[in-house]
Amino acid sequence: MRRTKTLLAATMAGICLAACAPGETEDEAAEGPTGDVEVDFASFEGETLDYIYFTDGPDEQVTRDLIADFEEETGASVNLQVLPYDDLEVSLQARLSGDNVPDVARLTTITPFSDELLDLTRFFGDEYPEEFLPGQVGAVTGAEGEMLAVPSDLTMNGPFVNVEQFREAGVDLPDPDDPWTVEEMVAAAEEVQAATGTEFALAIDKSGHRVSTLLSQFGTTLLDEDGVALDAGAAEEAVGLLVELMETDAMSGDFWLQSGSRYEGANEIFAAEEVPVYLAGNWMVAEFAESVQFEWAVAPNPCAERCGGFPGGKFMAAFERSDNPELAAAFVQWMNRTEQQERLVGEALFLPTRQDLVSQGIDYPQRGPDMEVFLADVKRTPEDTYESNAHPAFGATADYLAEEISETLAEEQDVATAVEDTIAEAEELVEDAQ
Amino acid sequence: MSRTTTEQPARRRGRHGGIKGRRLAPYLFVAPNMLIFGLFTIWPALNGFNISFYDSDDGRTFSFVGTDNYTDILGEDEFWEVVRNTLTFVVAFVAFTTVAAIALSLLLNAQLRGRGILRAAYFLPVLISPIVVGLIWNWALERQVGLVNTVLEAVGLGQPGWLLDPQLAMGSTVLVGLWTHVGFFALILLAGLQAIDPNLNEAAGLDGASAWQRTRHVTLPLLKPTTFVVVILATITGFQAFDFIYTLTGGGPVGATTLIVQNIYEQAFVSPIEYGLASAASVLLFIVIFGVTFANYLFARRADAT
Amino acid sequence: MSRQAAVDRSRPATGGGSGRWVSTSDRRPPSTGVVVRSTVLVVGAILMLIPIVWAVLSSFKSRTELASRPPSVLPERFGIDNYTGALSSFSFGQYFLNSVIVTVAATVLTLAINSMAAYALAKYNFRGRDFLFLLTLATIMIPLQVILLPVYQVVSSLGLVNSLWGMIIPPAATPTGVFLLRQYMLTLPDDTLEAARIDGAGEFQIFWRIVLPLCRPALAVVAIFSVIWRWNDFLWPLIIAQDESVYTLPVALARFSSQQVVPFNLVLAMSVLSMLPVIILFLLMQRQIVAGIAQTGMK
Repeated sequence: MRRTKTLLAATMAGICLAACAPGETEDEAAEGPTGDVEVDFASFEGETLDYIYFTDGPDEQVTRDLIADFEEETGASVNLQVLPYDDLEVSLQARLSGDNVPDVARLTTITPFSDELLDLTRFFGDEYPEEFLPGQVGAVTGAEGEMLAVPSDLTMNGPFVNVEQFREAGVDLPDPDDPWTVEEMVAAAEEVQAATGTEFALAIDKSGHRVSTLLSQFGTTLLDEDGVALDAGAAEEAVGLLVELMETDAMSGDFWLQSGSRYEGANEIFAAEEVPVYLAGNWMVAEFAESVQFEWAVAPNPCAERCGGFPGGKFMAAFERSDNPELAAAFVQWMNRTEQQERLVGEALFLPTRQDLVSQGIDYPQRGPDMEVFLADVKRTPEDTYESNAHPAFGATADYLAEEISETLAEEQDVATAVEDTIAEAEELVEDAQ
Repeated sequence: MSRTTTEQPARRRGRHGGIKGRRLAPYLFVAPNMLIFGLFTIWPALNGFNISFYDSDDGRTFSFVGTDNYTDILGEDEFWEVVRNTLTFVVAFVAFTTVAAIALSLLLNAQLRGRGILRAAYFLPVLISPIVVGLIWNWALERQVGLVNTVLEAVGLGQPGWLLDPQLAMGSTVLVGLWTHVGFFALILLAGLQAIDPNLNEAAGLDGASAWQRTRHVTLPLLKPTTFVVVILATITGFQAFDFIYTLTGGGPVGATTLIVQNIYEQAFVSPIEYGLASAASVLLFIVIFGVTFANYLFARRADAT
Repeated sequence: MSRQAAVDRSRPATGGGSGRWVSTSDRRPPSTGVVVRSTVLVVGAILMLIPIVWAVLSSFKSRTELASRPPSVLPERFGIDNYTGALSSFSFGQYFLNSVIVTVAATVLTLAINSMAAYALAKYNFRGRDFLFLLTLATIMIPLQVILLPVYQVVSSLGLVNSLWGMIIPPAATPTGVFLLRQYMLTLPDDTLEAARIDGAGEFQIFWRIVLPLCRPALAVVAIFSVIWRWNDFLWPLIIAQDESVYTLPVALARFSSQQVVPFNLVLAMSVLSMLPVIILFLLMQRQIVAGIAQTGMK
């Protein structure tokens, strides 16, 4: 027993040794290049770059093609490292903490990594952000006006409809230029459900981000530049509608409850023709174009108080601690030039983030009319939705909202409490994020 | 066990032969394994312990907060709910799986025909990746289109929401855990059963004991050491359960099946990141498991000593 | 005991069928106990297998078939579209090879170092023995998720990142393996070892020539466990591997399962593909395990 004690003491000593401060204190965090840097695209011959990437499916090939072009043009070689979407952040965290920093990454949010990202205005000037949509730029602007990433594609939430089922039920589809109201959409969906015998009337992905679309249509958003912006009354209407639909089996309540805190998309339900209206976003267009057998189309977002949808998007960021920050920045800029973005967005059926592309329009090789509907909704979507999505605390707040809806469905509380709790939690999250 | 004079300093060959070699040998044997433990588990764990006294929202920059993380966690309702869930799961999982495994091993041991095929069938689930296990069962337990409910409905037993009701979800999780591991544990118990001298059972039989009495008074007591191994392994498996539960229920519905490892993982990697809190929770988890296992070990040691 | 013909000749064969049934062989009809037991075992085995069988059958179904209500049992046709789809979506061959290399190498290493450590803990009395044993137990209780970042830092500073060695060495020191082997070795008689020492054998010789062969059943068990663990290791290879050239199968599966649009039919096909090798290996090794267990060592 004495031996055990001695060894125990040794262990404690070891722990104390290890108690030198881990990592760095917040003040010591690394600084990037200061001052303006001229990027010389001709200077990258023979250098390599690690690009951490996740794919939505149809974009992988065109990205590889673009990379091949970049390699040919500059002589650099790009190492495309495709990771599972769910695990990308964990992998990135690990690499950053282990000093194995990649050069560029494709991200859905820059919040967890904002201290590690390169300010691109130092390389490309203070006017560089103006090439892109202001709403998306807001999401990547740092506290001191730095541009920490480039918005590489825009997503817009919106409804998909099963044209064949609508036709069978004799229900008209809305005119893209004159959108239907939320009431009209729900009524139409329920009519089609009754007439064709589908399992449900409407389906929505289990995500606070999708629910934000409805919130916006009822006139409110979760957050804005200054913090919590949720209007309890409007939120109760929106959430109340969802809960009611799920309780009357117009929407699948099971679907919302059975995946816990994991994200779950309702696309399979739509693809199996069990629901005539599916609230998702433009990323599904390429997917459905490939896999769905029946006739479908994109419908305009319904209006209540307001019209339009809710934005999202992906970003490309370069890392300060990269071995070759100049090459990293150059790659990011190159991939998001007009010609390159036009190609990516066109083939992958994404929405553009560049101002010039938004005004000149995109010639999509397929499903043009559907993408047009989304683009039209982009123009109708209010500014504050971009602010909400861009806030660092948005992800966590949206997740919390989804959880609160689950609790309401499981009959552990009513809608008013769900909204109240969301607002309270949002305030805490916003504070933590400062 | 008589000891002859081992003190002769005669020439011995082999790895560092001789008395000195004999003293040195255990350290050399133990070294490679312990080195890896030290480097890849113990050192990082100590590091984690250290971090539990800091606050961090990105895993790279830290600010010292002393024992605040611990007081914060212990004061959170959510934490205690997770603890309750974990304990419920572990106790249920260990109890049911151990009993089932013992029963299974007894049956298999007595079975002569087709034992190999049967054993393989029971063992198969353990070969499957836990992620896949969760996916398959998530699909099979779906209320309206799942395999289980389709059968139940055909027999007129309705369609319970296995993964939708908090209690049923916990039960389903325990059952899926049992399904996965019972073959694994039965295999260990089977090896233990094979090591029991059959003469003992025969003797009892000749004395007039029935099969059940023989099992209860001869076999089971002799199986204790192996049972102890299985209980410890099951306990540890239970506390560490994460992968299959995450794909099975995602921790739901409404957090009913969120166990401690998932909680730690989400705090460390999912926004809002609270890396210091995650580390503190890990330390608490470790203390609990260690305490439980140590108690188990002492209990078994005392039982062995009789 | 002689066995006569089927019919007892002393009795006339009456039409009423009062003939006694006499078995024509040595076997008695199975007792109720045996029948019940066999039935229970078989039914249990079927219940065990149903989900797996169903998953395999469903791996041939198309996406619409998978989502149909009520669910179908058999696929419409046993088309291999899902399999070709899954295989063509990424370099399956490379991932498979990596999985095989990592699994085999790690298992060999595990058997070697675990058995050595277990032997020391079981059969020697040395300073720090109890501490090291407790340390081993402690190590089992630290799930990887919980120490992920610090471990990565260690691996990174040792330069093991993005290499197969990084996936082979760290996981090889399985504490459960040490624990199981130690339990088994405790039952080995010290007499044999002492006798060998007196005969002039060195410590390592004793280990190699006497102890290890006696441990075959336990080694077989640890081996199959190691194969299962390394083959299905997901989180560790995911963190270590950066280039696709180093990915293993579970990482590929995760990629599919976590895409924004999960191609469940492909996920099923891939799951089946990843299950097969381990199942085949177990079926082959099962005889070894059985033989090892049946073989009695020096008791």
